[in-house]
Amino acid sequence: MILYIIKNAFRCIGRSRGRNILIGIIVLAIALSACLGLSIRQAAENAKKETLEGMSVTATISFDRQSMMGNMLNEGENDEPPSFDRDAFSQMMGEASGLTLEEYKAYAEAPSVSGFYYTMSASLNGSDAFLPVTSDTPEEGSAADAPNGFSQGFGGKGGGRGQMMMGAQSDFSVEGVSSEEAMTAFMQGTASITRGENFDPLSDELNCIISEELATFNGLSVGDTVVLTNPNNEEELFTLAVVGIYNDTSANSDSFSMMGATSTDPANKIYMAYPALNGIIEVTAQNAATLTDENTGREYTTDIKSTLSATYSFKDLDSYYSFEEEVRELGLDDSYTVSSSDLESFEARMVPLNTLSQMAGYFLIVILIIGAIILIVLNIFNVRERKYEIGVLTAMGMKKGKVAAQFLTEIFAVTLAAVLLGAIIGGTVSVPVTNALLEGQVAQQTNRSDRIEESFGRGPGSGSITAPEGNAIPDDTGRERPQGGFKNLGAAAVDYITEIDSAMNITVVLQMLGIALLLTLISGAASMLFVMRYDPLKILANRD
Amino acid sequence: MAILSLKNICFSYGITPVLENLSYDFEKGKMYCITGRSGAGKTTLLSLLSGLAAPTEGDILYNGDSIKKIDKYRLRSKYIGVIFQSFNLITKFTALENVTLSMDIAGIKGKDKKARALELLAEVGLDEDECNRRVLQLSGGQQQRVAIARALSCKPEIILADEPTGNLDTETQREIMEIFRSLAKKGKCVILVSHSPQVAEMCDETYALLRHSKKK
Repeated sequence: MILYIIKNAFRCIGRSRGRNILIGIIVLAIALSACLGLSIRQAAENAKKETLEGMSVTATISFDRQSMMGNMLNEGENDEPPSFDRDAFSQMMGEASGLTLEEYKAYAEAPSVSGFYYTMSASLNGSDAFLPVTSDTPEEGSAADAPNGFSQGFGGKGGGRGQMMMGAQSDFSVEGVSSEEAMTAFMQGTASITRGENFDPLSDELNCIISEELATFNGLSVGDTVVLTNPNNEEELFTLAVVGIYNDTSANSDSFSMMGATSTDPANKIYMAYPALNGIIEVTAQNAATLTDENTGREYTTDIKSTLSATYSFKDLDSYYSFEEEVRELGLDDSYTVSSSDLESFEARMVPLNTLSQMAGYFLIVILIIGAIILIVLNIFNVRERKYEIGVLTAMGMKKGKVAAQFLTEIFAVTLAAVLLGAIIGGTVSVPVTNALLEGQVAQQTNRSDRIEESFGRGPGSGSITAPEGNAIPDDTGRERPQGGFKNLGAAAVDYITEIDSAMNITVVLQMLGIALLLTLISGAASMLFVMRYDPLKILANRD
Repeated sequence: MAILSLKNICFSYGITPVLENLSYDFEKGKMYCITGRSGAGKTTLLSLLSGLAAPTEGDILYNGDSIKKIDKYRLRSKYIGVIFQSFNLITKFTALENVTLSMDIAGIKGKDKKARALELLAEVGLDEDECNRRVLQLSGGQQQRVAIARALSCKPEIILADEPTGNLDTETQREIMEIFRSLAKKGKCVILVSHSPQVAEMCDETYALLRHSKKK
């Protein structure tokens, strides 16, 4: 029964080629546009999925200073502007000592956490025989002390160094790691030990690894010892054994040395085990004395201030999202925030593709609406043109429902053929078209970022990384990204997705079939309405 | 027993009465002519008999049962073969396709459908070449033959024909009437609607449609 309706439908398609070719061309144009739109959206989804699959999501817990500042803002009375309670804020910041290692460890017990490591960062000074790498203009009398012809820069003999309490920077950034996993640059392959070996992260022995630049600058090799001093008390000396020398390919010391802070220069970064660094911090705390600054009159202690940061890793993004809820349940108060630099980096990379995907979505909706309207109109004309045929078929005893089904089959067959052809052509051209559009989006995004950089007096793509000392962690590209409120707006720092390999897949094909079905039903519904309304007697009487 | 009976049929278009109190009986094996002047309601009566329209009053009985109880589409596709005045063929189809489509609509199954359609078309005087031509490429007489073959394709007991000889030359008229005559001889009930006295002469019975119908 159904077979003859299909057979009849195909016979009618064949006998009305001109009209069906016209409908087919229109549907083909719609299908091609829809295919491109869907392919772009699918490409964005694929890229997102692939990036997320290859990305280890990590998170940190940090003090939410911005939120606290908001809390300290008093509402003004009688049209007075809101005032900020600076004293209360300073007191609160002083009390906010950060989370302890025990607290960090307690949050690591959250079910969503798959990995956990922590680092302690501290700034120490060098000694006469161990100087930091710097490219500053040498001070008088100090350049001669620099080995291998390097300029000495900061410090020199005597008391130039060790003015931490006065706001001066120290020589070295020392990072104590709880495990090798915490050495992210090494884990991501941007840094590697070139000589010697790594220290035991669980050992409290004073072993360390130093950069090749630092080793060359000081003429050090594996097995040598270096002496670090407490910046607040030069009498406190700590002798570290150099067990390895590393090379960090991602490190670019130019921007750091320009700031005049040698400890922020990646070349002056020293890695050691957490227990060993913690031991140094504890010793300085035990020997700490309270002194008064001659200039400001403020009191300060001579112990070394350290920063403890913990990183939690998750197997997927969903685990990361559930982590915040879990740590809140475990007792983390609202003055701390959970954030992920990986996620921020990922979102930044996805900006052009997401924008393109969004535009493709709007384009798709417009195309489908216009397409549906055109098809409805065409099908209404088609049905009116074939009014006589409908009258004859119903007069012959064919039920109106079957006549409508035949018309629907015709529309579906033409639409499906055009959509499949559109999908084939669209699938072929989707990758180059998407890449061309994506290139435009990336260029637009880069230009925008460059304009912002220029507005702030920086060169295009300068990056403007201004992370606080010891508070920068590498993102998945190996670059160090600032934490705690500093955002890098420079386009050069964001590794945008600029190219996609494939956009077409079975999902797009199924979506295209869905579109064919949708267009058929929408345009067919109008036809069916007309078919059901027609009275064969009137049609044939008018004909006669 | 009458295969088709009209019982006090009335029909009106709005407030204008067209047919009033018609009571006719039609039997198998006979050829009937419904005649009358233009506007007398001949075609309207044919529409009522084929179920394309429903009487405003009265009833039509098919084999003693009211046709109200029979599905109108089933009535037209299986029990009554209708030949329209302007043939009403699907113009983009061939003669053969028009006949096989009618068989499909009637639900006739079997592999020999095409052979049966060709046979029917041959019976009404069309050769295979003419059968495979689109109907627009056929003459009026040939189209009429295709319409007859199509009406016969579902093996109906009743054949209704509206002005079957209206636009045909004398020779073709005679041939077409011969076909109807042979169908009546084969036991079909043939009802022709015509204003032609020649057609009426060739029929077994004639009903003249006036304001009140009369039997000749």
